[in-house]
Amino acid sequence: MSSTAQSRSFRDLVDDRVDEGVFRVDRAVYTDEAVFEAEIERIFEGGWVFLCHESQVEKPGDYWATEIGRQPVYVMRQTDGSLGCYINSCSHRGAVLTPLKQGNVNVLTCRFHGWVYDRGGRCISIKNEELGYAAEERAGGRFDLRRIGALDSYKGFVFGSLRSDVPALRDHLAAAARWIDLLADQARDGLEVVPGCSTYVVHGNWKLQSENSVDGYHVTTLHSVFAATTAQREARDATGGMGRTESGRIRGKVPSGTYDLGNGHMGLWAQHITPHVRPIYEARAWLEDNLKPAEVDWILNRGRNLHVFPNVMLMDNPSTQIRLVKPISPALTEVSVYCIAPRGESPAARAARLRKFEDFYLTAGMATSDDAAALEAVQNGSTGPPSQWNDMTRGLDALVTGPDQGARDLGFEPVASCPDWEHEGMFLGFYRAWLDRLENGTGVA
Amino acid sequence: MSADGIDAGLEREVAALINREAMLLDRRRWNEWLDLYAEDAVYWAPAWASEEETTTDPETQLNLIYLKNRGRLEDRVFRIESRQSWASLPLDRTVHVIGNVLVESAEGDAIEATANCIVHVYGKKGAATRGSRYDFAFRRIDGALRIARKKITFIDDRLEGPVDIYHL
Ligand code: FES
Ligand SMILES: [Fe+2]
Repeated sequence: MSSTAQSRSFRDLVDDRVDEGVFRVDRAVYTDEAVFEAEIERIFEGGWVFLCHESQVEKPGDYWATEIGRQPVYVMRQTDGSLGCYINSCSHRGAVLTPLKQGNVNVLTCRFHGWVYDRGGRCISIKNEELGYAAEERAGGRFDLRRIGALDSYKGFVFGSLRSDVPALRDHLAAAARWIDLLADQARDGLEVVPGCSTYVVHGNWKLQSENSVDGYHVTTLHSVFAATTAQREARDATGGMGRTESGRIRGKVPSGTYDLGNGHMGLWAQHITPHVRPIYEARAWLEDNLKPAEVDWILNRGRNLHVFPNVMLMDNPSTQIRLVKPISPALTEVSVYCIAPRGESPAARAARLRKFEDFYLTAGMATSDDAAALEAVQNGSTGPPSQWNDMTRGLDALVTGPDQGARDLGFEPVASCPDWEHEGMFLGFYRAWLDRLENGTGVA
Repeated sequence: MSADGIDAGLEREVAALINREAMLLDRRRWNEWLDLYAEDAVYWAPAWASEEETTTDPETQLNLIYLKNRGRLEDRVFRIESRQSWASLPLDRTVHVIGNVLVESAEGDAIEATANCIVHVYGKKGAATRGSRYDFAFRRIDGALRIARKKITFIDDRLEGPVDIYHL
């Protein structure tokens, strides 16, 4: 841990006096190097982060290479079907072991000097070992790869932590688990990540991604051009069925809300005006037969964005998305997006899901590209000291402590409920959890 | 006739059309650009499925852009011209440089060609140089060669800034 991060208190960055109607966040949280360094150590390398979906490591020997904070790691499906996650760095001199982002192997052979590791991370062969090491140094285990501190998955979503002294994953997820249920349980045969990924770099702090994912307030301004564009398209092409875009929420006011789901997790929802244009609608009968009415309502009629603190968004809105966020520096964030979909959905539903994804979510799409531009403008505007505070009190008077009716119906316990997706009450939970992690380390319960 | 049996006049015509498209995009002459496309033209930029391969089936896999008629290209122009798209105001400046144009086949009015394109982009975040491989299909409509299909293999896989029709 660096001395800067150790010695500094970050408490003055969040002006939390909600009793007096004040909740402000210093814009230095987006720009300050010491803040960023502490975030990497204490949040990204100090607790649970999202790694991948189980469908990306399906068969024994499948690996998926990613990072936890700065540390390259890989998830490996073991021969017995369980998952392992290892520090992706050769025990010899540290080279990253996986040749590709994703693959299937019996063993991983380091391409530098040829050491070989089995699927369980055991070093099973060292080139010319007997010539280089005394017999007693060859004792088993010395050169095995290190496992990460904690690894677990929830409904197919795999999370890991470099540290082992973290709460159980289920406790970390808090009320967000119920929102993951909504995504996972809508798929009779499970979910799969669809082939194809897009990675883009946003010149803005990673927390702007977090905020943006549950910020309903920008939708009717920033995305009005998306609504206008798709509306003219649909008029011209006389588009029907799933080819249509659900744009009622962009054009006007619909029932909506946000939640502080605990531990920095946040959720946003808005009512669909035309749920029948959604690819999942074809599963309606099965959903009604197999899930509780409140679950069916939440799945079919409420578009949802879930932010699982700190590094992933699970979207079930125009399309279904995993958005993985990787901080590079205070002002630089790498974002990778994947389409996740129910296995076995009809070809028409799959194609419609992909087209909606490409319309909206990509940096080559017609909405996410505008989001990225907006976030970059926020980053630029936050650089000068005279422009210090982000006020986040919008809708504070309407904030409900604990669950609202929708949460009670579905059965989850948010820290707080906002009755309008244009309100900002969920950010209180985000920045309080963020500060707690910076001040108190790992977020150990 | 050139050695591969492709008519030299046709080769010149194809190269001129690809060059013209690049020029019209760089100069933002959107309507003339749209006129180069057949009404049912397919415009497809696959995503990368791995370090080595792009996606290959747009109906079941993710793409950067997959538009199935010229109207969908008009939508992109509409969005740019609206001046309401934050990503498109100010619009990045571009210079397309086309090279390696090869007519691969010509059967009657159906012509296929490949080409490379380097696009130099200058925008809010500075300058970037990006590369694409083009796979074209052309059709002759009322005597004029039109783009029936354009597949863009965009080799960049960590995208800085927006990627729209004028970047490709
Ligand atoms: S670094 Fe891997 S064998 Fe030397
Ligand atoms: Fe947005």
